[in-house]
Amino acid sequence: MSTVWLPCGDYHQRYEEDQGWWQTRFIKAKMILLLAVVFIGIPQVLPEYYVSVGTMVGYTAMGALGVQLLIGFAGLITLGHAAFIAVGAYTSTLLVLQFPWPQLIADWGLAYPISIVVAGIAAGLWSVLFGLPSAKVKGFYLILTTMAAQFITVDFILTQYVSQIGGRGQAFSLPPGIIKIGPWTIDTDLKIYYLMAVLLTLMVIVLANLLRSKPGRAWVAIRDNDIAAEALGINIVRYKLLAFFVAGFFAGIAGAFWVSNTAALSPEHFPWFWSLWLVGVILIGGVGSIHGAIFGALFMVLVMEGLQWAVIPMSAYFPRMLMAFASIKDAAFGLAICAFLIYEPNGLAYRWWQIKNYFNLWPFSY
Amino acid sequence: MELFLMTLVTGIMVGGIYALVALGWVLIYKCSGVLNLAMGELTLIGAYVTLAFYTAGIPFILAIVGTLLVGIALGILTERIFLDKLIGEPLLAVIMVTVGLSFFFKGMVTFIWDTDTRVFTPPIFGIKPIELGFLRVSPVYLWSFILAIVLLLVFVFFFKYTRWGLSMQATADDETAALSLGVSARFVYAAAWAIAFMSAGVGGALLGNINGINISIGYLGLLVLPAVVLGGLNSVPGAIVGGIIIGLLQNLSGTYLDQFFPGGVKEIVPFAFMAVFLLFKPYGLWGWERIERV
Repeated sequence: MSTVWLPCGDYHQRYEEDQGWWQTRFIKAKMILLLAVVFIGIPQVLPEYYVSVGTMVGYTAMGALGVQLLIGFAGLITLGHAAFIAVGAYTSTLLVLQFPWPQLIADWGLAYPISIVVAGIAAGLWSVLFGLPSAKVKGFYLILTTMAAQFITVDFILTQYVSQIGGRGQAFSLPPGIIKIGPWTIDTDLKIYYLMAVLLTLMVIVLANLLRSKPGRAWVAIRDNDIAAEALGINIVRYKLLAFFVAGFFAGIAGAFWVSNTAALSPEHFPWFWSLWLVGVILIGGVGSIHGAIFGALFMVLVMEGLQWAVIPMSAYFPRMLMAFASIKDAAFGLAICAFLIYEPNGLAYRWWQIKNYFNLWPFSY
Repeated sequence: MELFLMTLVTGIMVGGIYALVALGWVLIYKCSGVLNLAMGELTLIGAYVTLAFYTAGIPFILAIVGTLLVGIALGILTERIFLDKLIGEPLLAVIMVTVGLSFFFKGMVTFIWDTDTRVFTPPIFGIKPIELGFLRVSPVYLWSFILAIVLLLVFVFFFKYTRWGLSMQATADDETAALSLGVSARFVYAAAWAIAFMSAGVGGALLGNINGINISIGYLGLLVLPAVVLGGLNSVPGAIVGGIIIGLLQNLSGTYLDQFFPGGVKEIVPFAFMAVFLLFKPYGLWGWERIERV
């Protein structure tokens, strides 16, 4: 078999070959090029505005990865993912601001990195708590319990109680320079972007590896038919809860990352809207693939930025359009979801697959 | 004791409005199998449309009739444009289309009417409480409750005795059989959405009379979800009982739990109660249990 390109058709004989990452040198080069674009191209070449847009794409993708895992791979529909992102963000903030760190850790700038991990674990456990009903209910009823998670966590516990810690009232302000990783202070857009890129890359690698090992296969089996999966000897409750834990862990890391990108943390950063937005992202990107979540995040953030660019010149004639931009954004998002579900139900990832397939099989595509 | 009874009565009366909206939800589900998450926004639209008619100088009852007509038109349009193409699609797709619709509606409503709280001026119902024996009830609640009950009766009558209502019942029961008897499924779906828009619209108008109209009406409309889950998704009496239970729960927790958990406990209790309730009775009070096979 050639080491440069794949032959026309599927000639894999073993599972390891089928799931291998570096199947050909071409794929390896392509992925290295992608990493180079993400780590060098975008931050070093593009102006700062685009770097911060890239950060937003990354943050959206981090949240969407967890949703993709739950909906796309485990078949557990969640409409409350923002709650777990919020748990991560608040855990990280409280640890950085309020926890009495030993001087050594504070000096070495380890407080924030430790808080990222703790935030992931806390959000994962919180997510498992609300995933418990999935042992018994599914489909629409599970959607409702995840919605309950959103309202109970963000609108009640975080708004009414956690926000009162330290007597600040509404929001936790994060003084500049408090977010430190080792010797670096995360204070410029560029550094935030790099933090995002590293975390997102790690998350994608972890998720991709999970999906091609035992838990991933169990999740897909549960998604496709949970009763049949149980008959195959998969402990479905355990794997469903594991899916909730991993998704919550990712959400917690996304939340902890968000702390570095904001000057003040308040519950308004994690509304129900954001949960629905993340589900919309994976629907537009394509359900059931990692790159689907990333395509979706790219599409949504870029289209919304583009919308802003379109509205600003028009506001000279219709001043209300700028004032009510949030409403326009809502309406556009709603229409985009409806249009994709009706006309492109497989999302952008399906188009990508079609293009790839065309070149794989070219010139004998029959 | 008096406080308890007052809370109870208010709860039942608000619950009547929830029951009306929940009825619309259950209808859509029974007839077309669509789980509608846009119900909150439908109530929002209803509230604002009634307000627009009312501020244009039309008497309240006529404004309600106007809202019903607008509801029919919007319901049929929504069904024809968006939901018609999704019959038989997986659960996630259908639900997310309704979520997309809810965003679209909310965006349009806030674009047209802004986000400030508005009230019906001049007020429709007097402020002086009505004495019922030893109970005092604010007239808004009483009249809303009466109007909600009247509409509920009208809808129930419609289903039991009219030709259209019977064809809707037949479709809900067994779609294939109904089709073979000459019932037009597409007509039934459109009618279900029209009725849902109507019931949610009137519910929104009534809720708007209680606290003024702003985006939070949409949240109140979302409370139908716990209501229908309590009653069982495909049970009309369940929706009515569930709506009243949610109204009661909300008011009782607002009166008694608020001192222990200050803040928004009133808004959370229905959802928290629902999450726990689902663990013990996953099909609600009167929902059909579905036995799954591989």
